[in-house]
Amino acid sequence: MLSPKGAILIFFLTGFLLSIIILVLNYLLSPKSKSLIKRETYECGLETIGPTWVQFKGNYFMYALVFVLFDVETIFLYPWAVRFNVLGLFAFVEMVIFIGILVLGLWYAWKEGALEWK
Amino acid sequence: MVEFAMHNAWLIPLLPAIAFAAIALLLWPWPKASSTFSILMILTSFVLALAVVYGVYTQPELIEKSMVYTTRWFSMPGLRIDVGIMLDPTSAMMLWVVTLVALLVQIYSLGYMEGDPGFSSFYAYLSLFAASMLGLVLSSNLLQMFVFWELVGLCSYLLIGFWFYKDSAREAAKKAFITTRVGDFGLLIGLLSLQLIFGTLNIPELAEKAVNFQNYVSAETLTLVLVVLFLGPIGKSGQFPLHVWLPDAMEGPTPVSALIHAATMVVAGVYLVGRILFLFKEVPAAMHVVAIIGGFTAFFAATIALTQTEMKRILAYSTVSQLGYMMLALGAASLTASMFHLMTHAYFKALMFLGAGSVLHALHGKAHIHEMGGLYKKMPWTTWTFVIGALAIAGIPPLAGFWSKDEILLVVKEAAHEAPGIYTPLFWLALITAFLTAFYMFRQVFTAFFGPEKPENHPHEAPWNMRLPLIILAFFSIVGGWVGLPWLEKGFGYWVRMGEFHHAEPDYVLMGVSVLLALAGIYLAYLMYLKKAIDPDKVAEKFGVLYKLSYHKYYIDEIYLWFNQMVVDGMGKILYWVDLYIVDGIVNGIGAITRGSGAVLRYTTTGNLQTYALVIFMVIVIITLYFAFGDASFASLFLGGGK
Amino acid sequence: MSVNINYLLLIPEILVLSLGILLFVLALITPRNLQKGIGYLATLGLLGIFLYMPIAWKYTGMAIEGMYQVDKVAIFFKALSLLAGIFVTAIAPKYMEKIGYYSEFFVFAVFTVLGMMVLVSATDFLTLYLGLELMTITFIILTAYKRESAIGAEAGIKYLILAGVSSAILLYGLSLFYGLTRTLNIVDIAAVVKNNGITPAFVLAMVFVLAGFAFKISAVPFHMWAPDVYQGAPTPVTAFLATGSKAASFAIFFRFFYLAFPGIKEHWVGLLATLAALTMVVGNLVAIPQTNLKRMLAYSSIAQAGYILVGFLATDFAGFKAIMFYLSVYLMATIGAFAVATVYENVTGKEEIRDFAGLSQRSPIMAAVLVVSLLSMAGIPPLAGFAGKFYLFYPIIKNWGWLALLALIMSMVSVYYYLRVVLVVYRDEPEDKTPITLPNSIYFTLLITMAVTIVLGVYPTPLAKIAQQAAMIFMK
Repeated sequence: MLSPKGAILIFFLTGFLLSIIILVLNYLLSPKSKSLIKRETYECGLETIGPTWVQFKGNYFMYALVFVLFDVETIFLYPWAVRFNVLGLFAFVEMVIFIGILVLGLWYAWKEGALEWK
Repeated sequence: MVEFAMHNAWLIPLLPAIAFAAIALLLWPWPKASSTFSILMILTSFVLALAVVYGVYTQPELIEKSMVYTTRWFSMPGLRIDVGIMLDPTSAMMLWVVTLVALLVQIYSLGYMEGDPGFSSFYAYLSLFAASMLGLVLSSNLLQMFVFWELVGLCSYLLIGFWFYKDSAREAAKKAFITTRVGDFGLLIGLLSLQLIFGTLNIPELAEKAVNFQNYVSAETLTLVLVVLFLGPIGKSGQFPLHVWLPDAMEGPTPVSALIHAATMVVAGVYLVGRILFLFKEVPAAMHVVAIIGGFTAFFAATIALTQTEMKRILAYSTVSQLGYMMLALGAASLTASMFHLMTHAYFKALMFLGAGSVLHALHGKAHIHEMGGLYKKMPWTTWTFVIGALAIAGIPPLAGFWSKDEILLVVKEAAHEAPGIYTPLFWLALITAFLTAFYMFRQVFTAFFGPEKPENHPHEAPWNMRLPLIILAFFSIVGGWVGLPWLEKGFGYWVRMGEFHHAEPDYVLMGVSVLLALAGIYLAYLMYLKKAIDPDKVAEKFGVLYKLSYHKYYIDEIYLWFNQMVVDGMGKILYWVDLYIVDGIVNGIGAITRGSGAVLRYTTTGNLQTYALVIFMVIVIITLYFAFGDASFASLFLGGGK
Repeated sequence: MSVNINYLLLIPEILVLSLGILLFVLALITPRNLQKGIGYLATLGLLGIFLYMPIAWKYTGMAIEGMYQVDKVAIFFKALSLLAGIFVTAIAPKYMEKIGYYSEFFVFAVFTVLGMMVLVSATDFLTLYLGLELMTITFIILTAYKRESAIGAEAGIKYLILAGVSSAILLYGLSLFYGLTRTLNIVDIAAVVKNNGITPAFVLAMVFVLAGFAFKISAVPFHMWAPDVYQGAPTPVTAFLATGSKAASFAIFFRFFYLAFPGIKEHWVGLLATLAALTMVVGNLVAIPQTNLKRMLAYSSIAQAGYILVGFLATDFAGFKAIMFYLSVYLMATIGAFAVATVYENVTGKEEIRDFAGLSQRSPIMAAVLVVSLLSMAGIPPLAGFAGKFYLFYPIIKNWGWLALLALIMSMVSVYYYLRVVLVVYRDEPEDKTPITLPNSIYFTLLITMAVTIVLGVYPTPLAKIAQQAAMIFMK
């Protein structure tokens, strides 16, 4: 006799078994060819030219990261600004500290050259 | 000052410990600084000890109830161990003796060890020894005492083997270590048993529980435990049959022999038994064992001392013999007599060892008494102080040894009233020993210091820093016994005692007999060795077998050696075989399994990130499944049924 | 809604935060070649705050209502975190000069300490997660510090992803709890359990939280990240991970489970016993074939986590007291060993066990500290590890005899691989006999760890008393 809660268990087990079954089926059914060509890097169907372990320019990520950071900061500032009158001095001081720390972060990023595209 | 010293008695062992640490870490490149610092520290300890002695001996209530400071060393439910210091007249007396002798020996070593390449480390060891010994004396807990007991053993080992480039020193150090180890093993078992029986090793608590020991254990078991425990003192205090290490220990520098192997460390065994004498007292059989071992050792060692020819060896056997006296007194239930003799013995035996050291120093290591002679002309200080020591140990009034030895004879005689079967023979043995002691001591004195000079020797008197300790010790060898004069109202026996104080009337007959015996011994030695009226060689021939037995120390060493070779080695061979093919097989098997499983299990760490993450999730699933099915109460949640 | 904040109780945290910002600003305004002092400044600053902790010991209470509990346990673990920070910053300077990004390292180290301090005080999901992430994220950066070497980069990436996974799991468990109980407060969960009983989803949440913490303390089978990360991370960071991170995680683990699920203890202790047993067995057995000192220490640290887990099983305060005591002595021993490894790696560039041959001839103090530390971890008397293990195993003998026996056997097994190092250090001849000179800060670190390890072994009572006081108040 299953309790109503036992359904959760069945759900759980089914999910677990299903994922295993799929993995196993995949392994069994997939065709396997171990030719050298298969192990080459895929590049739009063309033969690769030069070494494929090229490095991307890190600055791109830096930009994105710094942007996201300050974007989130704005979101955090918004509700505070809307309810500024209610929240009072305490919240103001807190926000100053918060922004102060972020400014230090920006300063550091600037100093380390994250804002320049070289 | 007194108040301060009483409440901070832990400083007394700590100061030499600081000296040890300072020398070992910092001062060792500068010998002068090392010795100065070490002496300063032990001097401070000595002053503190004096204050403690004064404080204790103005507070009679401490006799019945010791002053104890403890601190929790280790505690948890079901087991707690307190360590601390315990002040009473007994420990105060020991503090006095140990700090005095340690101080004098350190001063003496300035001259004796001068120029030795290991000068600094010698002082470091001496300080460490003083610290450990003082810690042992102050211990309020038997476990704590055991720790210091082992530490003094370690120092003894280090100092016997101090001249480690000498084969004999190395061998002697090893012998001392191994022999006392046999005893310590018994001691450890005894202590553990006491802990199991009484649930404590605190001396005051044990004393309370000892009265009603039947509530904890049967008398037979307690006797057994105490006898096993007594193995420790037998080893440490050189009692038969574990005495063999002590004479060999003379391979160490002479100041060490004086400090450790005569005056202080070797009496640790006596002291330990004295500390828990209240337990022994409850079971007479254990007391009898102590008395018999002690009495026999006293006589046995004295007979060996008769024929030895090395100066320090004679003194060593005399030490063994005197320690036997102390044990005998304990066996007769007299803490007073035992501790009294311990104190006076420390004075005159340290004196004689230092005197012997002075002679060795002057003669550049010639050790046999027959190679000496007529030293009194060139070395008057050494000679006359040595003679004072010899008179004291022989028991000539009014010197210190007379009073304490007399006290022992008296208590044994009294004990003989109650159990004549045991104590009467011991009493006679003790009397004969007194005669023998006087004889062998003066055999040595007459041969070495008087008689014709040996022209090949060019002795010279010791420098002042060696003479000073001799003079001070000679002084105490004369007056040191007066604190225990039988006519005193509140003498030594009033302070250092166990149980009720009873003032024994002086037994003039006994005194007379013991003095006569001592004089007879000295006179015989005079006839044989100075006046040559009796030819010693003829006497030796006459007693042929006995002489040989004594000269070869009853072949005990040889017996042990034989025992070792035949039995232990034989057993060893058998066990080695068992070990090699059976135990090793099992151990190697287990080792191989362990290592093998390690080698297999290491492949679970594949280095593959996906695997790691997968494992984490798998385990979560498994744990959840376990809760669902493995654990009954949780399973009901999933599978229905009652709540 | 106004929140009551007791700033007096927050002084240590505020000081650490200020120190971090101060160092950060200093690093910004001074040129790179003049920044050497920042490392020592970090050590001294943390030391100053550590010296404040005995004063803080007297002030306890809720610092932020319902969210932030400053009790004696929290203060004890804050002091431990600070201690770990002090030692790590003391041994790191020379090592970090070689790697680069020197002053950032110390700023991160200080913030890591702050994260630990927040974590051990948390009584609310938000503060818990805040502290945990502050600690974890800075650790991710620190482990990836040797990004130039393949193994260092690998360690960083692995820690990043797996710490993320474990955080996600923990967070999932916490959100399940919130959904089930409508509260963020750990203590309130216990009340809900009492009133409503438990549901399958509740169990699932508990398992998730358990997995999250087990990952942090590297309990088997959540331990697999540890060896790779320990080996690849800069050695001072490894020391930090093995001591500070582990201690703080243990603190919150214990606090969480004893505050939230006291009523259903009989269910999860069995699970913890299994984890402890597995951790001890796997950690010790796999340590045997290791040839790299840091990797060996990683496995040994896994095994140590197993011993500490045993302390969860005692029914009264004795277990928690033992955990606190053991973590302290374990910290000393681990720092000692890693400090030696740091110096040696810095001087010779080697970290295989056989490379330590003849260390005793090149630097007696390093050899002595290494040996004392390892033997303390093995639990050889009279070193502190012995007293610690005694405290841990003694209370559980009655109810968990098999586990205590297993712990003893595994301790004996551990002697094998520890002694192997001792042998190499003392018996073998060194290839290069030039003596190693130690910077002062490391010299003091070595001396202090060794002295504490010996003193606490001989006389454990003072620390045990403090731990007992804290634990008794915690368990009421």
